[in-house]
Amino acid sequence: MADTSPMNAAGHEPRLAVHVEDLTVSYHDKPVLWDIDLDVPPGVLAGIIGPNGAGKSTLIKTILGLVRPAAGHVYIHGRPYAEQRRRVGYVPQRSSVDWDFPTTALDVVTMGLYGRLGWIRRPRRAHLELARAALASVAMEGFADRQISQLSGGQQQRVFLARALVQEADVYFLDEPLAGVDAVTERAIIDILRELRARGKTVIAVHHDLQTVRSYFDWLLVLNVRTIAQGPVSEVYSATNLRAAYGGQVALLEGDELPTFATEPQ
Amino acid sequence: MEALFAFLGDYTIQNVLIGAALLGLSSGALGAFAVLRQQSLLGDALSHATLPGVALGFMAAGTRHLGSIMLGALLTGAAAALLVVLLTQRSRLKTDAALGIALSTFFALGVVLLTRIQQSGNASQGGLDSFLFGQAAAILRSDLWVMAALALAALGLLTVLWKEFKLATFDPTFARSLGLPVMLLETALTVMIALAIVIGLQMVGVVLMAAMVVAPAAAARQWSTRLEGMVLLSAAIGATGGVAGAVLSATGRNLATGPLIVLTITAIVLFSLLAAPERGLLWAAVQRRRAGAMLHDRRVLATLLRLSDEHADRAYGAEQGMLKVLHGLGTVASLHGLERRGQVRRVEHMPEEGIHWALTESGREAAEQTLAELEAGES
Amino acid sequence: MIQAVLTNIPFSIMATGALVGIAATLVGTFLVLRRSSMLADAISHSIVFGIAIVWLLTGLASGPVQIFGAALTGVLTVVLIEMLTATRRVKNDAAIGLVFPALFSAGVLLLNVYARDVHIDAHTVLLGEIGFVWLDTVSLGGIEVPRALVSMASLTLVNLAFVSILYKELKLATFDEGLARSLGFYPGVLFYALLTLTSSTAVAAFDAVGAILFVAFVIVPPSAAYLLTDRLWRMILYGCAISLISSVGGYYLAVMWNVSIGGMMALATGAFLLLALTFGPRYGLIAQELRRRGESSRNDRRALVVHLHNHETAPERDEESTPEALREHLRWNAVRAQRVLRGALARELVTLDADNIRLTPGGRALAREVLEPWRRPVAAAATTTRRR
Repeated sequence: MADTSPMNAAGHEPRLAVHVEDLTVSYHDKPVLWDIDLDVPPGVLAGIIGPNGAGKSTLIKTILGLVRPAAGHVYIHGRPYAEQRRRVGYVPQRSSVDWDFPTTALDVVTMGLYGRLGWIRRPRRAHLELARAALASVAMEGFADRQISQLSGGQQQRVFLARALVQEADVYFLDEPLAGVDAVTERAIIDILRELRARGKTVIAVHHDLQTVRSYFDWLLVLNVRTIAQGPVSEVYSATNLRAAYGGQVALLEGDELPTFATEPQ
Repeated sequence: MEALFAFLGDYTIQNVLIGAALLGLSSGALGAFAVLRQQSLLGDALSHATLPGVALGFMAAGTRHLGSIMLGALLTGAAAALLVVLLTQRSRLKTDAALGIALSTFFALGVVLLTRIQQSGNASQGGLDSFLFGQAAAILRSDLWVMAALALAALGLLTVLWKEFKLATFDPTFARSLGLPVMLLETALTVMIALAIVIGLQMVGVVLMAAMVVAPAAAARQWSTRLEGMVLLSAAIGATGGVAGAVLSATGRNLATGPLIVLTITAIVLFSLLAAPERGLLWAAVQRRRAGAMLHDRRVLATLLRLSDEHADRAYGAEQGMLKVLHGLGTVASLHGLERRGQVRRVEHMPEEGIHWALTESGREAAEQTLAELEAGES
Repeated sequence: MIQAVLTNIPFSIMATGALVGIAATLVGTFLVLRRSSMLADAISHSIVFGIAIVWLLTGLASGPVQIFGAALTGVLTVVLIEMLTATRRVKNDAAIGLVFPALFSAGVLLLNVYARDVHIDAHTVLLGEIGFVWLDTVSLGGIEVPRALVSMASLTLVNLAFVSILYKELKLATFDEGLARSLGFYPGVLFYALLTLTSSTAVAAFDAVGAILFVAFVIVPPSAAYLLTDRLWRMILYGCAISLISSVGGYYLAVMWNVSIGGMMALATGAFLLLALTFGPRYGLIAQELRRRGESSRNDRRALVVHLHNHETAPERDEESTPEALREHLRWNAVRAQRVLRGALARELVTLDADNIRLTPGGRALAREVLEPWRRPVAAAATTTRRR
């Protein structure tokens, strides 16, 4: 990033899928993120890891314009987020909605098309077919008309993923997509994310299970209020970086060995 | 039949019926959103908080002019909603306290203003009392136009922006990531709920309008798994309850309309909670019973299988008395049910030894399957 | 002498109002802290049903039996709400909004049908008749005392005894229900006892202030007090004081403007809430705004040193550390950048020479503190970061 002049005709850092510079976010007197720099190249499956309270969710929300930063800026494929909304897909935390809401799985997936539909226009048959196809791609076609409270946690997560898939985005942000899902769903979700990567999409997911980091992701951001390290997993996933992020909260084996387990701090 | 036509032809009755239908439609449809956003009690606070607006509207117009009264009610209702937002976002008070504060202080202001009007000796102030508990018979044809216009505006906006309101209610975070102005949509919904409350003030009164926001929606939720269905049904229930309560009030002994409407709709809520398919409590109880009975049957079968294995006799007959000791109440019912389904049969022993039961072939299969499942579950 | 005071009309009105307020504040403090304020609203509406039923069954409109009997509906309300919530078919807020309007409606209709000529008509239900409490007196040891004053004084004493005897238990049960349960303090029983007293107070206060104004006395003074203090006993004390002053002040204002006395008293508690909200020493809007400004410029200064620190060893150091760069990279406008820079210079966190901002050792230390809070000893963290 040393060679950048701040603005050029093609936008800001157009070669990067996500470019975050000097991002600072604070809630009242609590600083949440300090001077974050983040450069995610296109076509990677990126993980964001860090202890509880490290600001992982806040970072995603700030990139998506849901939280206003105190300083810094964000670019998606070279342009500000507001201009690139159509190119971004988002999977919020499953716990952020009331699953007792009277609606069906198909309807939730259709909501992913609302951005493309624009104001007032209703989804038509063609849109429903797109949503149905997205449900099929997460192996949930049999549950299209099921009320969402009747789905298991893993199935609900798949519905959320299908909603993001139907957005046909270039960059996907997922907030804890594997939290509280069963092993089968975890497998299925990772397969889908890999397929997205194979199609040249960029996927960025908040992740909390250190044991699976190396097998799931090829690009990593280690976060604890500030950027500890970022880059290819093979370079970044090191004992030094993890110790810097988690402090004494992670058990490390001697030598080059990596953590056997992680305890989430309060 | 003629009596019915005469009844329906009555000018006052017509007004009452149309008014009640308008009130039920708007509060039912918009109340669904209040309930789903877990803002049922905001409706309560808003409706109490319209009282000072009613008084102010009266004072401004100098007479019981519904248009200005409704405008005043809408304004103080909105002010109360703002106070709730201010208190919850800018102070350490929680939502419940903020609602209680807005509700009680605005109502107190309304009481003070009402007594002020009474002291001024305005001859037409008599009609104001009807805004406390509602008085269907006091409705005029001109009032209906105002009510209809407001209902049309609120329901029209709801229809046009249906998908936006739905998404902002279900998943506001995702809605914002799509670029929807969620704050604006939420404010619009709150204002529309306030409108629905204002529409019903004259029929139901400030004290009970809260119930009209909550009850139809709570009943409708039990029957429908789609928002579209829930809102339509909620509006229908609101209108039905409104009309029924209003008719009772207008034809009966001049009873207050509001309480009658509320009790009618509460009855619908109770019925829905008990009897709605899938979610109804009776439905659930039947399901539970059925599941319990099935479990009991399978345990009886398993015992018969075990006894037969122990005695190495496929046709072994177990004594009914012993089975009862093992499986308690309902054993005989279970055995008779199993017999009907051909899974057990009675076997003859000595006449004085009582009834004995043995597995049939299909019973044996079922029992073996049960045991296999049990073992699979344990490992 | 005593007789003269007790039958003095203004005194009896103000004293009744003050006792309603104090009795309500004593229980209301715990309801507000427990986030169950709206149960007070539900209870005070529902007791209309209880009052109607007790009157129909026994002909009683006052006295301990009437109070306790009618209060049972208040408790019933909460039981029904909890049962309804437990079915998981409706959410808690909707359950509240379903139960009390139904009971209230039933009560109003019963009064409508059977008690047209009794003094409890629709108006009393909503507004109360505190202006007339002196009309209805009872003889107490040869002295004529307003009946409402006697019942409110008794309930105030009962509530005071309850709160002072079980102070520690109530505090724990409100703050940490789980711990209270594990220590064997029966928080559920305490809660229902509190609700029974709230209901009883509502019934006793009903004639004076009606069903809805009572809500103001339960919720508003404790809420105002909550904005003024962090100590539970002070919160109770301030709440009682606010109730007392509101009753006296509300009375005189009501007489002056010739409006509802009960309404004015309730409105006065609202005025205190607004005062506490605006001028509260720690949680008031003004104090918050001042603190926010201080915090925001402190956070800006910290963002500056962290930014400089992050780029200190990188090749782009010179480019990132000009005032111009602050505008481009941190997206601060010129005024804000100037202000932050001036603040940082004054605190000797940075030096500025020839358009180059450099960290001082102090600035570097602050950046480290911000970035690696876990490296910092806890005591030092509390003191050093505050000041800068």
